Amino acid sequence: MKIIISCLVASLVFLGGCAATVTEAGYYWGDYSQTLYKYTLDPNEDTLAEHTEELNNIIDKSRELGLRVPPGIHAELGYIRARQGDNAQATAYYETEMSLYPESRLFLERLTATTTKGSN
Amino acid sequence: MKKMLLLAIMATTLSGCAAVPSGTKQTAFPAMYTDAKPVSMLIVPAINESTAANAPDLLNVTVTQPFANNGYYVMPVSIISDIFKREGIIEGNQVKGIPTSVFKTNFGADSVMFVTITEWDKNYIVIAGNVTVGMEYVLMSTTTNEVLWSYSQKIVVDTSGDSSAGIIGAIISTAVATAATDYVPVAFKVNETAAGALPLGKYHPRAGQDGADPVNLEAKELALSPN
Repeated sequence: MKIIISCLVASLVFLGGCAATVTEAGYYWGDYSQTLYKYTLDPNEDTLAEHTEELNNIIDKSRELGLRVPPGIHAELGYIRARQGDNAQATAYYETEMSLYPESRLFLERLTATTTKGSN
Repeated sequence: MKKMLLLAIMATTLSGCAAVPSGTKQTAFPAMYTDAKPVSMLIVPAINESTAANAPDLLNVTVTQPFANNGYYVMPVSIISDIFKREGIIEGNQVKGIPTSVFKTNFGADSVMFVTITEWDKNYIVIAGNVTVGMEYVLMSTTTNEVLWSYSQKIVVDTSGDSSAGIIGAIISTAVATAATDYVPVAFKVNETAAGALPLGKYHPRAGQDGADPVNLEAKELALSPN
């Protein structure tokens, strides 16, 4: 019985540990797919808030673990802010994405140009 | 007589081995070990040939992670699909005629990935269940227009969990079975399996050193592990 219990405890610890899974490339993704799927299926204020919170959580947790934030996370937050009309915040997020991943520069600069044009 | 039978069995076994097409990543995808190897990839909306209407969404939300984990800069899929949507493009077939160079000049992506879902079939056997997913991935250079990598696979994902693991396994099985409508892990597993056959990119610590890694292009049956 004791063995079974300790097995269960061990597996619970292990499963809990999975919440902070870091990939071989050194990325922490949290529940990214799940919250994005919920938002994709039913885009509303609540699902957007949940996904935004998860994106912020990925940034915080990555920082805490000393990891590079995965590709696209800052860009996605920037895009959300831009659609909410907060261009300054959007630009700040895009800048961070570009400094982490220079490959994103052309895309994000164009995106900024369209967004700014759209809000004029 | 017994010897003959043994020989016959051996011959069958040996020929069975020879039939498995496997090689190394470098011999299978030589272009990925040249200057043509991309750093960034833009994944266009999936083409859905299956009967499952939600399959493209499932694949789209789970495609970024495995390919980014393999070391590539995946252009943010949710933003890209939103931009496409505003241009009236919601399905991969609509992108087919566009020259790949457009993705370089407009998005700065040095490669573009086309994904086709050929099959998405759910089967339930009493409490155990599985999903058969047929997928095709084609990665093209936006500079040279050549196919850099392609992967075609029929994957059977076992969604019943591993019951051989005793009590813990049973608990996990129940948990997975209860969330029977949650196909995010299934889609994730499919993308992850495909990404595993792709040579590693710039942001992976073993980038450029995986040429001798084996790559198996045979059909797979996968058990969906809960972690």
